[in-house]
Amino acid sequence: MSLLPFLTVAILGTVVVSLLRDRRWLGTLASIAAVVVALGAAAVVRPDTPLVIGGGALAGTDHLRVLLVLCLAGGLLVLIVARLATWQPSAPGALLGGAAGIGLALGLAGTPPALLGAAAATVVASALALGSPAAPSRIRALARELRGATTSVVIGLVAGGIMPGTVGGTVPGTAAATGAGPALAEPAAAALVLLGMALVLAHRFGAIPLHARVSRLADATPSSALPILAAWLPAAWGIVILGWAPVALGPSSGALGLERSLIVIVALVTLLLGAVAALIQDEVEHVVAYTIVADAGITLLALAALDPAARDAARAWVLVFATTRTAMIGWTVAFRAAFGSGRLRDTTGWMRRAPALGAALAAILLAVVGWPGLLAWEVRLAILQSATAGPALLLAYAGSLGTGVAICRLLVVGIGRPSAIVAGAVGELPRLPERPVGAATDPTAAESPPIGARAAVSSLPGRLRGLAVVVRRDARPTLELNRVPLRAFVVILLAGLALLTAVGAFGIDAAARAAGPALPQLAPVVGG
Amino acid sequence: MTPLLLVAGVIVGVGAAVAMGARDARIASLGLLALLVAAPFVADPLPAPVPLAFGVVAGILAGFLVHVAARRVPEGAAPTLGLPATIGAAAAGFAAGIGATAVALPRLGPDAALAAGLAALAVAVGPIAVTRDLFRLGSALIVLVAAGFLVLTALAGTLPPLTGIAAGILLVALAATVAMVGGGAVVLGGVSGPDAGPDRRPAPLRARSDRR
Repeated sequence: MSLLPFLTVAILGTVVVSLLRDRRWLGTLASIAAVVVALGAAAVVRPDTPLVIGGGALAGTDHLRVLLVLCLAGGLLVLIVARLATWQPSAPGALLGGAAGIGLALGLAGTPPALLGAAAATVVASALALGSPAAPSRIRALARELRGATTSVVIGLVAGGIMPGTVGGTVPGTAAATGAGPALAEPAAAALVLLGMALVLAHRFGAIPLHARVSRLADATPSSALPILAAWLPAAWGIVILGWAPVALGPSSGALGLERSLIVIVALVTLLLGAVAALIQDEVEHVVAYTIVADAGITLLALAALDPAARDAARAWVLVFATTRTAMIGWTVAFRAAFGSGRLRDTTGWMRRAPALGAALAAILLAVVGWPGLLAWEVRLAILQSATAGPALLLAYAGSLGTGVAICRLLVVGIGRPSAIVAGAVGELPRLPERPVGAATDPTAAESPPIGARAAVSSLPGRLRGLAVVVRRDARPTLELNRVPLRAFVVILLAGLALLTAVGAFGIDAAARAAGPALPQLAPVVGG
Repeated sequence: MTPLLLVAGVIVGVGAAVAMGARDARIASLGLLALLVAAPFVADPLPAPVPLAFGVVAGILAGFLVHVAARRVPEGAAPTLGLPATIGAAAAGFAAGIGATAVALPRLGPDAALAAGLAALAVAVGPIAVTRDLFRLGSALIVLVAAGFLVLTALAGTLPPLTGIAAGILLVALAATVAMVGGGAVVLGGVSGPDAGPDRRPAPLRARSDRR
């Protein structure tokens, strides 16, 4: 029941910010307020009494709360970074609409409703982000997203119909879903279903050879809408599918050796080639896009494992994945705004002008790679070990560090000799607006005010009025002068959020392993 | 298979064919409307009255939204295949679904659901793969979702109402997207506006450094 206020707030917020999208300042304020309120509503989601609707249930979980909080907090920070550079009117609606859809998808009991919810979330967020203004590149990207989401959900529905993951209703992906699974399935049917779901997962995350989607999305989407479209919505799809797979196909896993090997091969190719692709990109947005592609390999490995332990590890890992990618996208927004270019060959030595961005990127690197004992490291290793062994494990391990190597390359470019663009860029030191010379020498200003005016100024309302005048006079010039340091500060906050996620703050590990709420006895899916 | 199931299945198949094959966008949207209204009835046993009504209302709303978009589609935006070929494809899909009875495909739903689902699937796949018209693409995607829902009904039997509600939400979301975007930029890659929106740098058609 605690999920309902969040859904209400997020949907209303989507409507309001979409209506105010053409009002620059009012839209900005409404967007930030709506996301903050939605964030507050997401923070109180908990596994309490489910809401019974339509023979099913809508219920919150600890994992869903953490996911929504990280999604909205990261999305809000990226929105602020982007707003300090330019106004992207379509992004707040996409963030809120996407978050509402994720809440619906992961709160609905059962795999088919969850898949339909994830598809609806993808459609809504894509339409809000790309539908207006209707530039050709955006419409093409929107068409790709609609095609992908719809075909994915149809494949998922058919697969879920052949191999239902649960007999009763369970919230997707929770440990409760491991209860009563189906009996051993017909091997051919199980193989087809596994390959179909792998195809869906590969497409949603952009695994090779279906990787073009992510890169083109990065080209066409407003940068502050990219986290929800390229990271959080695929994460929601992943949670649903990875929650279904061990229950539906786990008993048949012994007969699926060939198919699982095929998925592992695709995953290894994705990990290695994705890392190579990220290393050879020149645009920072494409570097981030290909790190998303590379990490699709880890998701595929989690699917190939067909193991509840890998599922739980993947539930924690997707949070780290999506938060770190959100931070990287925020970093690219600040980088492009600081130098007016995202091309690495034009921005060598960028760290001289943007040391705070460099520190933030180093923190993101730590969050992405981690170290032994850290949640990010342990869950990634658990996924790799559950699906591979021997040389394949070594390859997977090497490939999984590709994102870190790509970030190292960005840092190495940053410590080179500053290019002309970098040399001409504004630094990150805060500045104050200079007082006009005339104000100090103005004879009328130096005149002593009348006694009544002095009394008015010395009173509290008078002081507040004076303060308001000063703020009105100085705030805007100060903001204009300090956009670069403000952006850097917010990116540091994003990097901090990524680091906190990587170390397992917010109870991520426990939330990933927690059973879902006790659902009422629901009408079982016929054929379960 | 009861006559009601067969009639509903045939309406779905014909509606899908008209939605995908009619040259006039408004007639195509009416075919889509018929498909969406008839699809909830292709189940045995029928869903409870309230979920059934929800499915019908969601179908009407989605059909209406697509009809609104259809009024803004310019003349000459032709379908991928003509109407006779599309009806032929739908008939073939329907026959294949009915024929599945002969090979005893294990399932718990009615034959008519599988037949109608395959008919809708047969006509939707082509436009999804090749069309450059956003209105036709959106219509095809809606037909595809309906087809998936029907195939799921055929495999798993009458679905829980929650699944129907979620499917209704997805259908309306797709239709609203078509209504929102269909009028502004009908043809993918067309000339409906400048490539760079006010809130984004000019997006290259293909990044210079993007070695794919």
